[in-house]
Amino acid sequence: MRKSVVLVVLAVLMLAVMPVLAQEPIDVRVWIAFTDAGRLGWAQERAAEFNELFPQYNVVVEGYANYEELFAATALASEQGSLPAVVQYFEVATQDARDSGYFRPIAEAIAGRTEINGLPVNLDDIIAPVREYYTLDGQFTSMPWNTSSAIFFSNMTILNAAGIDAAPATWADLDAACEAVMALENAPEYCWSFPNHGWFFEQWIAQQNEAFANNGNGRDERATEVTLNNPGALALMSFLDDQVAKGYLYYSGAQGGAAWATVDQAFSTQQIAMAAYSSSDTRIYTQFGVDNGYEVLASFLPYNQETGWTGNLIGGASLWLTTGLPTEVEDGALSFLLYIIQPEHAASWHQTTGYIAITNGAIELLESQGWFDENPNFRVASDQLSQSTVTPATSGALVGAFPSIRNVVTQAVDTVLLTDQDPAAVLDAASAEANVILGEYNLLSAPE
Amino acid sequence: MSFQFPILIIATLLGALYMALRFRRLRLSIPLGAGVGAVGGIVGSLLFMLPLNYCMFDPERDLIDAVFGVILIALGMAIILIPSALMIGSAVERRRNPNSESAGGARQGQFRGLVAPFMLLLPTLIILALFLYYPSLETFRLSTLLTRLGAPRSAFVCVDNFTSLASNTVYLNAFATTLFLSVAIVALSLALGLLVATAVFQPIKGASIYRTLLVWPYAISPAVAGVIFLLLFNPTGGIINYFLNNTIGISIPWLNNPSAAPWVVVIASVWKILGYNILFYLAGLQNIGRDLTESAAIDGANAIKRFYYITLPLLSPITFFLLITNTTFAFFDTFGTIDYLTGGGPLRATTTLMYNIYEVGVTNGDLGKAAAQSIVLFALVIGFTILQFRTAGQRVTYGA
Repeated sequence: MRKSVVLVVLAVLMLAVMPVLAQEPIDVRVWIAFTDAGRLGWAQERAAEFNELFPQYNVVVEGYANYEELFAATALASEQGSLPAVVQYFEVATQDARDSGYFRPIAEAIAGRTEINGLPVNLDDIIAPVREYYTLDGQFTSMPWNTSSAIFFSNMTILNAAGIDAAPATWADLDAACEAVMALENAPEYCWSFPNHGWFFEQWIAQQNEAFANNGNGRDERATEVTLNNPGALALMSFLDDQVAKGYLYYSGAQGGAAWATVDQAFSTQQIAMAAYSSSDTRIYTQFGVDNGYEVLASFLPYNQETGWTGNLIGGASLWLTTGLPTEVEDGALSFLLYIIQPEHAASWHQTTGYIAITNGAIELLESQGWFDENPNFRVASDQLSQSTVTPATSGALVGAFPSIRNVVTQAVDTVLLTDQDPAAVLDAASAEANVILGEYNLLSAPE
Repeated sequence: MSFQFPILIIATLLGALYMALRFRRLRLSIPLGAGVGAVGGIVGSLLFMLPLNYCMFDPERDLIDAVFGVILIALGMAIILIPSALMIGSAVERRRNPNSESAGGARQGQFRGLVAPFMLLLPTLIILALFLYYPSLETFRLSTLLTRLGAPRSAFVCVDNFTSLASNTVYLNAFATTLFLSVAIVALSLALGLLVATAVFQPIKGASIYRTLLVWPYAISPAVAGVIFLLLFNPTGGIINYFLNNTIGISIPWLNNPSAAPWVVVIASVWKILGYNILFYLAGLQNIGRDLTESAAIDGANAIKRFYYITLPLLSPITFFLLITNTTFAFFDTFGTIDYLTGGGPLRATTTLMYNIYEVGVTNGDLGKAAAQSIVLFALVIGFTILQFRTAGQRVTYGA
């Protein structure tokens, strides 16, 4: 009897002491919105390496099906007081993330340190348009990770046959190229296409240095109004309307995910000769040509020759550090974020996925390995971003309820392309509708 | 506030009048009826006004809000008064004819007390309360708020979420689309279902194999149906256009033409529900006695006349059942097909009320407006069902 009591006491003591002896690692939970082996797998491999290098930490990466599901899980975790250390938010939810109160700016957490756990803090190495997008109130706020830009893919086999030897740089070039392509004896069904997603509208007006919202695109102060009816947007809509009227632009009418898929299908089967698309699919688009026997050239997104090219903005998502973490967890999370933007990791992320290499260090590394010489299409997006002039317009808008406002833009483009309505009137109506949404968002979510 | 008192007086008087008339018909005391009616009228008028605090009658509100308020008061009174009148009526009936079939039959298996039956019902009631009644009440609360998913604050907006629908062109457009799609889907799926069922009911070789194969599409989820039809009808590279182009040399822009896209949704939805209708019609056809059709044939009625005067009326209970289930399907279950096939476009030509609620509530996170719209949709479906029972339901023959 007494013996067993002693044994139990010993066992309890052992259990209590063991973690101390074994230096139980600190859990750092990271939530991301990917579930595919390529991207979630990549993050989990980096976490495993990191945990081996820094045995005091145990980074656990969990994948959620999509951004919406991840946001809902984050809101719930916040209510229950069990936020993870790091959460991924996509770029247009930046203002929503900021207003949520769940997160702490990364610069504030770094607090001027030049290295954390021996990992150098070199945020200036991140290429400018990307760094600017996630710099709010002059403070570097969240860590960019998967970053892309809108670029242009041309089927050079068709273009060469039509006597065009370079990808179009401007809208006028595109129009001229289409005239030549459609005059071919075995012309494709249409000349070019793009997925009807609000992001392309944002890209084309940023190129003309037109802001999407007031108050410095929402970067000087909270945006209280969107300006969808600005001259750049009107020029864009008129251009697109004209392209449809001439039978050059193919608009499938598909919405949501299918909008992207119909462009893939039309480009791969050569029913169109050119497509505006996300650089995240550079690998897939290049492969279309290899599989079907034509040459695919990636180039900058064509711009309005009347206004010139100021720059393009980014797309993708960033990693946010949650607020109220114990110092040791926060340092662990910061170390992991710094770890994955080390040149070799940022480079491998680019090669695995097609998202751009976000640091100059990574770009130099890839250059020295000859990666871009072998895969010239892969450098277009980062070139387009690093050559962009950083202005409020090209930094990208910060607007509340941006995902909802994007749907308004998509509907406006849909209306212009499919009806005879005046683009200016459509844009005015869209602006008014979007401003009601923004007003309601600000009423409910802006700090009082 | 000054207007609450007259509203209560009017509600009391109307309630008293209604119940007094009811009591007179039942040959009961008229003053007692007036008293019961007065109480019912007050309670009914307060049903919606107590939580809303007569907000729609505030001077700064529009006329449409006040009209909506009057409708709400009337609705609240109807919800209280009509069922009570019916209950009193049947209670009186039972008291007066204690030996009538319904009263006597029911008494046999009745519980003595209230505890035992409620204990047996409790598990169901708990589940219903947690997963149906509580969310429904929450929907009513949300419908009076301006509130967004994840927003730290919300604002009370009275009945704005409802009354603004009257001038919301997107919503009215969705309303028309829903009516069009529902009528087309229900009419086509019933007609085709009956046609195919009659065809496979004929004694032909391998009929059982055909029947099994015909029911198959019903087992496929609406989303998968959407994907299949997207592949078929895709304007570029779709099989349908490839076929049309090769045979008659035309290609139809199925998905970017606002007149064509709704028909693609209709075709996909009819294909999806057809197996279900065939199944029920087959069962119905098997229940029609051969003696009826045979004697009609002897009397000289041809196949078409036999079908029209004998088969069709005898199938009417099934047609009526299918009418209601298919309407519910067209209202609610076409969502998955639309989401994958057209995403509500082009030009919102396939945005139904259900799809609009999804866009407002889930995609845009505008919970208050979405809650109001779902309450309106709920009321509409109840209204349609009552209407169907009143009109089509009366022509149904359940046999002598």
